[in-house]
Amino acid sequence: MENNLDRVMEEICLDPAVLGCLFADQQGLCIGSKGQASNETSGYITAIANQVAKLEPNSKMPVVTLENENQICMIQKADTITGAIYKKL
Amino acid sequence: MVEEIKKNLYEIASKIEGLYGITFTDRDGVPLLKVTSESAPEPAIKPNFISTFCLAIDQGSKLGLGKTNTLICTYSQYQIVQMNKHPLVVTFVANQQCNLGQILALEAQIDPIASSLALTVTEI
Repeated sequence: MENNLDRVMEEICLDPAVLGCLFADQQGLCIGSKGQASNETSGYITAIANQVAKLEPNSKMPVVTLENENQICMIQKADTITGAIYKKL
Repeated sequence: MVEEIKKNLYEIASKIEGLYGITFTDRDGVPLLKVTSESAPEPAIKPNFISTFCLAIDQGSKLGLGKTNTLICTYSQYQIVQMNKHPLVVTFVANQQCNLGQILALEAQIDPIASSLALTVTEI
């Protein structure tokens, strides 16, 4: 059932700069993760995407980028799924 | 001390949109600590509802998957998350749109409160 998602996650993680990725459903429950992404963060990732979307309700879903000194985390919501990709800087 | 814990729980609960309340009870559903908003459905915080969780986890352990940690019930209007913190049960009542992942991630913050309350239960 989740073969397609697994394949997508594998493709994402093929990029050497990618540290990990995570996908969550509308309720913040993790539906898949690979690499350094922790399952427990799925709720926060969904919450961030939902809160940021409220800033511009009439425009399309924004990409949220959180950056620290050595990695970035990009979050985007598409329909009911929220995805997060962790990358090296 | 209880007031401090309650204040802390209020802060935690207010950070999650749609979370109506958190209750700490013993295995019979007797409330030890309750932080709820007015919108919380009355039946979900009654002892007979909460004690049903204990029956459910006893049955769940027979499935051969080990100890039951969390039980999530999704209803048409509400979502109930119950955590097994032996000898206590922590119940979260939320609306249908609430972020369950965020509630599950609260476990680490709930653990110290549960362990301090557990001491009082075992003393009794």
